[in-house]
Amino acid sequence: MKEPIVQTAEDGTKDLDRKILELFRAKQGGTVSGEELSSALAVSRTAVWKHIKSLKELGYQIKAVPSQGYRLLASPDLLIPAEITAGLGTERIGARRLICFRETESTNDVAFKLAEEGAPEGTVVVAESQRRGKGRLGRHWESPPGVNLYCSIILRPPILPQKASQLTFLSAVAVARAVAATTSLQPAIKWPNDVLVEGRKVAGLLNEMSAETEKVNFVVLGVGININMEQTQFPADLRHPASSLAIEAGGTISRIGVTRAFLKALDALYDDYLAHGYEPVRTEWLDRSNMVGRKVRVSFHDSEVSGEVMGIDDDGALLLKLPNGRSERVLAGDVTLL
Amino acid sequence: MDIKDIKSLIKMVTETDITEFELESAEEKIRIKRGIVPEIVHYQAPQSVMAVPQAVPQMAPVAAAAPVSASAAPAAEKGEPITSPIVGTFYRAPAPDAPPYVEVGQVVEKGQVLCIVEAMKLMNEIEAEYRCKILKICKENAQPVEFGDTLFLVERL
Repeated sequence: MKEPIVQTAEDGTKDLDRKILELFRAKQGGTVSGEELSSALAVSRTAVWKHIKSLKELGYQIKAVPSQGYRLLASPDLLIPAEITAGLGTERIGARRLICFRETESTNDVAFKLAEEGAPEGTVVVAESQRRGKGRLGRHWESPPGVNLYCSIILRPPILPQKASQLTFLSAVAVARAVAATTSLQPAIKWPNDVLVEGRKVAGLLNEMSAETEKVNFVVLGVGININMEQTQFPADLRHPASSLAIEAGGTISRIGVTRAFLKALDALYDDYLAHGYEPVRTEWLDRSNMVGRKVRVSFHDSEVSGEVMGIDDDGALLLKLPNGRSERVLAGDVTLL
Repeated sequence: MDIKDIKSLIKMVTETDITEFELESAEEKIRIKRGIVPEIVHYQAPQSVMAVPQAVPQMAPVAAAAPVSASAAPAAEKGEPITSPIVGTFYRAPAPDAPPYVEVGQVVEKGQVLCIVEAMKLMNEIEAEYRCKILKICKENAQPVEFGDTLFLVERL
């Protein structure tokens, strides 16, 4: 089996896992009887036992107490639909289809293929690890198991292809919101979509589009957030300083919490974007970027320019004021804060 | 000639390398002239000029809506253009050390990836919309491209 699917949220039987976990959590460490479980879930006690067994295989510590029932002792911080969808309450993102892999080549590749096959808007693909995590232009995204979030989301926005790069800014804002909501850290966005904490990169985004001349077929938003990765797990040859939320915060962060917060933020932002256009995204991007008024250097293919950041425009272009007083509109390039 | 006819006429002209086109009949005369899009980065009105004597005064907006290739190839060059749907950076290969997606002379199938145009970290794979032969690659790798720029000239097969 090449790509074992852990679970998909479409699969009705897996809803039972979520309900079992909810019942356990409602008891706050207390015992839940097999009878309670089977009547609440409307399945046989044998079926309950099977689900308990599969949860144990996933890493949940569940103790069977003779003649009393089951007790949940500890949960792994596992990215499975039963956990991610609990209390998610999103309109689109992850609402219809959520697929979790234990391991895959690249969540973007999986999502792109699913989108080509007609997967609905809001489909989410998550993997515990990626064998071939992708960055821009064939670069590698380090994807060790069990510590981070690797996630791709399919969107089908009714916009022109020229406007689709606005989603780059939307996804960066969603990551920054999620980090701010689940940690004490202050994330800052660097143009166009790097999310930094204390100047170190904690997330990477790679968006891919399929479009015709006047129509976007779909966009795949790819998001990698370094959550609990340790210093020793980073490759030595990184282009920019990198870190994880746990390193910066000085303690382990709930991956399920960050994932849920991210999907919620993305859902809310996308909803706003469809209703009110790019302006809310642009405004929040400027608020959450540490760039306006800063001096930066932008490196191009074979040249560079320095100046003061004035803002971004409707296309997301970085607006610079050059030392000679002229303004420059930057569409691509590698930005360094001076 | 009504607006619809003129629209399709513009479309027909912009899909070729023709830079100027004139049609005259007993009661009307139409001239379509294609200019060069100035050095800007918006996706807005190309500098098409359409001069039609009085007959159809509401011409101008139609002309403004027609896409025009900024790098219109010299009239002598043959082939159908494949243009960029977005402003961005043109990449001939998926990675700097990878072989290019296509080479001149190569026959590509419908749906085959020809190049990537990247805009603000959004990667857009440009696919062949029909089976064709690559006659010319009009942009250098990692070069900026405008909306509507001709990326390839191809021969439909």
